[in-house]
Amino acid sequence: MSDIKDATLTPEVQRLHKGMQEVWGNPKGLRALTVVNHTTVGLRFMVTGAIFFLIGGLLAMLIRTQLAFPDNNFMSPEVYNQVFTMHGTVMMFLFAIPILEGLAIYMIPKMLGARDLVCPRLTAFGYFCYLFGGIILFSSLILEMAPASGWFMYTPLSSGEYSPGPGSDFWLLGITFVEISALSAGVELVVSILRTRTQGMALHKMPLFAWYILAMALMIVVGFPPLILGSILLELERATGMPFFDVAGGGDPVLWAHLFWLFGHPEVYIIFLPGAGIVSTLIPVFAGRPIVGYGWVVAAIIIMGFVSFGLWVHHMFTLGIPQLALAFFSAASMLVAIPTAIQIFVWLSTLWLGRPRMTLPMLWIVGFLVIFVLGGLTGVMLALVPFNWQVHDTHFVVAHMHYVLVGGMLFPLMAGLYYWLPQVSGRMPSERLGKWSFWLIFLGFNVTFLVMHWTGLLGMRRRVFTYDTAMGWDIYNLISSVGGFIMSAGVALLILDIALHFRFGKKAPQNPWGADTLEWAMPKPPTPYNFVSLPKVETRHPLWEEPELSRTIYEGQHGLANIEHGRRETWGSDALTGKLRETIHLPSNSWWPLFSSLALAVVCISLLVRVYWVAALAALVAVVLLLRWSWENGAHPKVAPDATLEPSEPPLHFHTMNGPGVWTMSVSHLANGSLYLSLLFGWFYLWTVAPEWQMPESSPLSMPLLVLAGAALTLGAFVLSKLVRRLRRRNDVGLGGGMYLIGVLGVLQSALIGIVIWQAELAPIESAHDATLLVALVYVLIHALLGAILCLLQGLRVGYGFVSAEMPMEPVVVLRLWHYNLVVYWTLFVAIWVMPTLLGGAS
Amino acid sequence: MKHLLSLTHPIQLVGGLTIWSIWFVAIYGGLSVACAVAPPDPLRDMWTGINLAVGLATLGAMALLLLLSWAAVLAARRTSVRRECYFGNVSAGIYLFSAGATLFVGYPVIFLPPCL
Amino acid sequence: MDPAGPAASHQFWVWWAMLFFSVVVALVVFALWLYTFRRREQPQRTPREEQRIMLRWVLGGGVLLPVVSIVALLVFAAPTGRGMLPLPLPEGEAERIEVVGHQWWWEIRYPGEEDEPDVVTANRLVMPAGEPVDFRLTSADVIHSFWIPRLGGKRDMVPGRHSTIRLEASEPGVFGAQCAEFCGAQHTGMLLHVEALERDDYDAWLAERRSPPEPIGDEADAVRAFGEHCAACHTVAGFPEALVDDGVAHDIVGPDLTDIGSRPTLGAGVLPMEEGAIAYWLQHHQTLKPGNRMPPHNHIDTETLQDIGAWLETMEP
Repeated sequence: MSDIKDATLTPEVQRLHKGMQEVWGNPKGLRALTVVNHTTVGLRFMVTGAIFFLIGGLLAMLIRTQLAFPDNNFMSPEVYNQVFTMHGTVMMFLFAIPILEGLAIYMIPKMLGARDLVCPRLTAFGYFCYLFGGIILFSSLILEMAPASGWFMYTPLSSGEYSPGPGSDFWLLGITFVEISALSAGVELVVSILRTRTQGMALHKMPLFAWYILAMALMIVVGFPPLILGSILLELERATGMPFFDVAGGGDPVLWAHLFWLFGHPEVYIIFLPGAGIVSTLIPVFAGRPIVGYGWVVAAIIIMGFVSFGLWVHHMFTLGIPQLALAFFSAASMLVAIPTAIQIFVWLSTLWLGRPRMTLPMLWIVGFLVIFVLGGLTGVMLALVPFNWQVHDTHFVVAHMHYVLVGGMLFPLMAGLYYWLPQVSGRMPSERLGKWSFWLIFLGFNVTFLVMHWTGLLGMRRRVFTYDTAMGWDIYNLISSVGGFIMSAGVALLILDIALHFRFGKKAPQNPWGADTLEWAMPKPPTPYNFVSLPKVETRHPLWEEPELSRTIYEGQHGLANIEHGRRETWGSDALTGKLRETIHLPSNSWWPLFSSLALAVVCISLLVRVYWVAALAALVAVVLLLRWSWENGAHPKVAPDATLEPSEPPLHFHTMNGPGVWTMSVSHLANGSLYLSLLFGWFYLWTVAPEWQMPESSPLSMPLLVLAGAALTLGAFVLSKLVRRLRRRNDVGLGGGMYLIGVLGVLQSALIGIVIWQAELAPIESAHDATLLVALVYVLIHALLGAILCLLQGLRVGYGFVSAEMPMEPVVVLRLWHYNLVVYWTLFVAIWVMPTLLGGAS
Repeated sequence: MKHLLSLTHPIQLVGGLTIWSIWFVAIYGGLSVACAVAPPDPLRDMWTGINLAVGLATLGAMALLLLLSWAAVLAARRTSVRRECYFGNVSAGIYLFSAGATLFVGYPVIFLPPCL
Repeated sequence: MDPAGPAASHQFWVWWAMLFFSVVVALVVFALWLYTFRRREQPQRTPREEQRIMLRWVLGGGVLLPVVSIVALLVFAAPTGRGMLPLPLPEGEAERIEVVGHQWWWEIRYPGEEDEPDVVTANRLVMPAGEPVDFRLTSADVIHSFWIPRLGGKRDMVPGRHSTIRLEASEPGVFGAQCAEFCGAQHTGMLLHVEALERDDYDAWLAERRSPPEPIGDEADAVRAFGEHCAACHTVAGFPEALVDDGVAHDIVGPDLTDIGSRPTLGAGVLPMEEGAIAYWLQHHQTLKPGNRMPPHNHIDTETLQDIGAWLETMEP
């Protein structure tokens, strides 16, 4: 074994490390708010998530105290409803997702041999959105006006009529804010995994953890927008009275249930996949052999990612949907058992063929297995429609879902925590305290929730604040409550262990568990630039096959070991083969993420207190700040002080036509497209299913104007693709003028859409039809404006010399937006004008 | 573009389930619309045109997926590049799974009426 | 867990079968995992052998096991749901009862033939035993869910929509029922008293309520007080129109009180019906069921409330 300690550092290499530290290091004091480094921001995510976990756990203890005895008066029903709503919300949105994202943000570049994620400023922006959204949501609990309609916020219960206070607004606005953070992390994780792997790491050679995170990130990108749309519509209904979910106005409350669970079910797998990723990472290490059936696992991940989108209706089995439709979802829900079982048996055969060691992280993995398998089996039972009808919304479901979520997420997370602690702190955790806390949590958990299955079968409903002693549920509830408190004692011990280990843990060796992945090749505690030189990796197990990598990397023997230019750089590689494509130049610390997320927080708060002019103003400020942020890109002197390269190195990314910006734009459009499809789904759903839907005899929209606006858009996109094609041939004659022209076409399109809206004289407060039309038109209007502004800015950037035949990337990015707008605009035209006109006013 | 359509490209990993998803959305959406526009008489139980249409769509989608699965196996055998062989085989597995999933999900049309 | 109808007992057996199977599967998987840690000796294997062992486990446990189990589940268990469909019966129409969910009480309607008015009652559901009954469900405000645990599954009540669930009580008896979808502050206190009667008793019970109501005299103080304070929200069949003070605008409806004296509980199952219970409820309902939609009666003196309570207790068909 060769270690970093054995590295021989020439003065030259020492200078290199010092230079790296200067360029990559974090500033102190107030400027720490500008930090964009993934290691720092990832840790911030995880620590914040842990704090919210404790808050959510505290709420759970309040619930168990209330339910410990029959007819208990510990809390009033109003407070109890707030407490269980916030428990679910905090655990799902403020703990589970962010802490896993934090782990991915921290770990992915290190495992892939990169120096940072591909959009570092977006990482920081995501964190601030999460922090502010979380604080806003949590403040409602302190102000005693927390949402009280359950974490699923079924309307009409959450509507203005039945929940008049600001509680629901806190939920809708706060959660949307937090989801922005999840989306931004999702987008950049996808692009980072595909495009910043180190040289030679082909897609099928990357660690399984990266596959899991890739699937999770893609699922976030596709799965979160339906809820964002739902939240926007519900908030519009609450604030202005647009009747999207109100039957009398032509809406339908079941639409909310669809949009919510369209997000809500994939969410469960978004939480489970990283957990399974941790298991798949740890088991080979502690079995001392490569995982068997890598391909099987990849297939299982992909199947899970897809099938989990086909299950959402199994949360709605009792809503009165036709049984045949339910049967489809029931069958699809059972199908998930197959990829799950594949993974469990791949893990088993890896252990079977290896020589497993029982260590503290492994103990948590075994705990995971026991709990998760039980949760999975009750899950298959629940997929059966008739059985589901019986136990739906009882404590049986509460028990099932805690088995799946705690088993599938918390236990692997704890395993990962103990496994990677030495990587973060350079010290080993205490075996004894760790075992104690494991057994307390494991036993406490099972005592609480195993009994709860039975309580549910006896007929105890969810979300009741008390029960009558005559029901005979007293003893089971008491046992559950005692178990809950044992579990919290375990959590307290766990925190103590981790806190102590930073002070007293013994120093960890370079690779304490004998792991195979690159994060263990780094110095401990980690350097902000991860690797001083980037290695070529062509195996799935770099540290097993080349144990001297830690030393050679540290000695600067590999690629990109140059810091004279003062740029933050990492490699951009081919998504498939891992061949080097370009040198990605990463932006440095910046205030823009903080400022723009602050502006968004102001928008959020002023919507809460219903001061709409402040909200509008702040939204405008946020847009300006975001555009100003985008200005500091590419060849801007602030981000690219020096554009020279060693001749041997691949070109800087903005000199190519396929840099990470192009990929980021495409993946963002996946999210955007999912939002748009949800909107179309809402339109068609209300049209066909809502009981009181009113379709006017003829469309209120002016067809000539719509076609004219579409023509402006089409012409603009055509010119833009011509310009890009010329750029590909290194020809930038007339680029600036062309960009201005397209910008003007975009402005024209926006103006025409504006006139269409104004002329239509819609009555969005009275009819869901008009309200949905308005939202759809505003959606295309915003996109038209964005397309126009970006083109005008491109014109300016050509003038400044940031965009040219030598630096052709940005127009390609803008072209992606225009193509997207083109597809959206014309499909929407068909959906809201052509189809109603052809099919007539009958509903 | 031709490269993407080759059965050994990793994009094929998601091909089978994409077809499955489209089929799934089509039968679920089609069923909802059909029940809203022209619900059949409950007396006919499961002997309706809707069940027949869904059943045929199921068989069609399954046949297509089986065919693709077989083609992916053949493509994986033909190529000599390890990476392509790998992705071809994994894709074939997922195509096969999708075919099974199609049959499994579509099967209830033989014992349930469509709109109740 | 004590089924009293065909749908519930189906699910009862499905549950025990699934439980048994699950426990076996779980124990085998746990045992295999733990065994891997116990072994000391490991034979040297070639990659080919390893591949074979892996395939054996993954194909057997990861593919075959779940496929067989879910196919079995789908083929044998899923069709049990058919019994709860409102399919036409060979012996003609099933008895139909309409249930409307309110925050936080139940409105029960027995539809009348042709022009006949519905029989309306609240918080007590009487149904015939030994035959399937179709419950037609909807809601007046938020989403509720109708659930008689011992008879079978639940069904949500969605405003603006009607859905039908078919249930059957094998024997006459009394069952608890409850709202199963979280519906606001008093979700907990939304209980329903269900009685299954022999067909003849059921017909008699219904006939009693079908007969046109006798007009109520407008002399008594209690009647006048009821008209002033209560009648804007609560209907009593035969109550003199002239006495109803609807000066106060209410956008909610309270339960129909025509046969309140015959009901076994008050406040949707919060309080058992005894002598004086209504008066007690009228004075303390916001403590007994905090947050319920009936405004507090602090402005009305106790004597009047007791009068009203005593009068209401006489309201029986």
